[in-house]
Amino acid sequence: MLVLAIDTALAACSAAVLDTGRGAIVGRESLPMVRGQAEVLMPLIARVMAQAGVDFATLDRVAVTVGPGSFTGLRVGISAARGIALAAGKPAVGLSTLASFAAPHIAADDTEPVVAAIDARHEHVYLQVFGPEGRTLVSARIAPLREAIRAAATGAARVTGTAAELIAAAWPPGQPPPALIDARACPDIDWVARLGAAASVSQGPPRPLYLRAPDTQPQDAARLPRR
Amino acid sequence: MLVLGIETTCDETAAAVVEWRGDARGGILSNVILSQTAEHEVFGGVVPEIAARAHVEAIDHVIAKALADAGQSLDRMDGIAAAAGPGLIGGVIVGLTTAKAMALVTEKPLIAVNHLEAHALTARLTDGTPFPYCLFLASGGHTQVVAVRGVGDYVRLGTTMDDAIGEAFDKTAKLLGLGYPGGPQVEQEAKRGNPSRFALPRPMLGRDDANFSLSGLKTALRLEAERIAPLSDQDVADLCASFQQAVADVVLDRLRAGLKMFRERTGAPTALVAAGGVAANQTIRKALHRAAFEVGTALVVPPPELCTDNGAMIAWAGAERLWLGLTDPLDFMPRARWPLEEVRGWDKAAATIQRK
Repeated sequence: MLVLAIDTALAACSAAVLDTGRGAIVGRESLPMVRGQAEVLMPLIARVMAQAGVDFATLDRVAVTVGPGSFTGLRVGISAARGIALAAGKPAVGLSTLASFAAPHIAADDTEPVVAAIDARHEHVYLQVFGPEGRTLVSARIAPLREAIRAAATGAARVTGTAAELIAAAWPPGQPPPALIDARACPDIDWVARLGAAASVSQGPPRPLYLRAPDTQPQDAARLPRR
Repeated sequence: MLVLGIETTCDETAAAVVEWRGDARGGILSNVILSQTAEHEVFGGVVPEIAARAHVEAIDHVIAKALADAGQSLDRMDGIAAAAGPGLIGGVIVGLTTAKAMALVTEKPLIAVNHLEAHALTARLTDGTPFPYCLFLASGGHTQVVAVRGVGDYVRLGTTMDDAIGEAFDKTAKLLGLGYPGGPQVEQEAKRGNPSRFALPRPMLGRDDANFSLSGLKTALRLEAERIAPLSDQDVADLCASFQQAVADVVLDRLRAGLKMFRERTGAPTALVAAGGVAANQTIRKALHRAAFEVGTALVVPPPELCTDNGAMIAWAGAERLWLGLTDPLDFMPRARWPLEEVRGWDKAAATIQRK
């Protein structure tokens, strides 16, 4: 199976091609960037496809991170994935950034918990806790940092994601310390591709996982009284 | 020549397939519009984040439907056009990125279209209007008088110093507790109102330039309304009628100035062309007729569904640009702000060299 993986949800613009038959990543590029993915992504995908020696017609699917992350960033990635899927007639699948952060650690050892956490600013984090065999112990959510720590401090967990240091620094003193702190600015695109190969295509097209409602209020203040 | 057009700059998710035949006017093979009005209604205006969220969920389905309605496959397209601005950047990014992805896969040219340029060229799609003509573009986001001299050759003669006309209608509707979008609601109320009951100002009247200012009128309306609140049904109707008449008077005066500037700079226009949702207002339409009649030119108003935001106008502008070889790279930057004067034209570089 040939999988094109795309990630623009956090502080990078990344793409890779996984060839599961050869068990190898055959093309890859990842550029750190906070914004500007909308300009950089498409030429980057073209380079990765050329490096892999693969054309779109021979792809089996497109995988993309759907969040949580930067609202704009994840819409860039999802628009690209769904646009490629439409034009190439291939399915697209969505993966969460939290699962992508956790995947390499679960693959290395699936007996101890993994905490994936992304900084959501204003003392909040996006959080998911994975237990034995990668099962979800705490589902993906946004939580105040203090609440997140309570959910995360389950034994000698491994902590990963953009908020790994934030979580580790606030770890409760009574608990065994984290077994590993793996702070990363973005998921490893190789693991996005691998998760993408394993994902089910029957879930429909990838949709953003915002975990946060739009910041807006209905406005009736201006309205004058009627008789 | 067939071009797919994608529009996501405000609260319509739209796509269309248009045929360019090289003669007078174009053919619309399909024109799919998914309106988000219901999502924004409770807020009394377009909420950018809500708009962006709706676009990303819908655009690929809308494009697929546009191709299916046209009875065409993507392979048959000669180019893929998307509005790359100006507009709400979250939505622009969704439409432009989708277009880039499709262009990358199919190896077809990408045309990054200026949304205002698409409005400006719509009269050529519907009526084959030859250059040069005078454009009056008035919507919820834009109010401009433009000399359209060629593809990529636009001279702005006037614009609004503050609110767009459609925005002023929306705010009036909100103040008076009418629904959203406000334009049709205000027009409906105005039908049984007295347009001369309230003496509202006509800002900018008699000035030589063709600029608009709506905020003073809006404030005057609010003060009048507050003075007599609580409002009866007749009060609301009279306020709407007085407001609408003031806007129509301003439009006529500003277009007189704009058409005078046009004649001085470019000669006689082939037509006065209206675009944007405001042109659907019948009282304002009368002012447009009068402005055109006074200078002996034709008034061209595309049908309502092509006056408001749509994919066909993007596809058409894309086709006009593609014919001239004006295509864009896949790293084209989406733009929240993009004045018409900054649109690249095929002859601008050559003209600049000649002037030197």
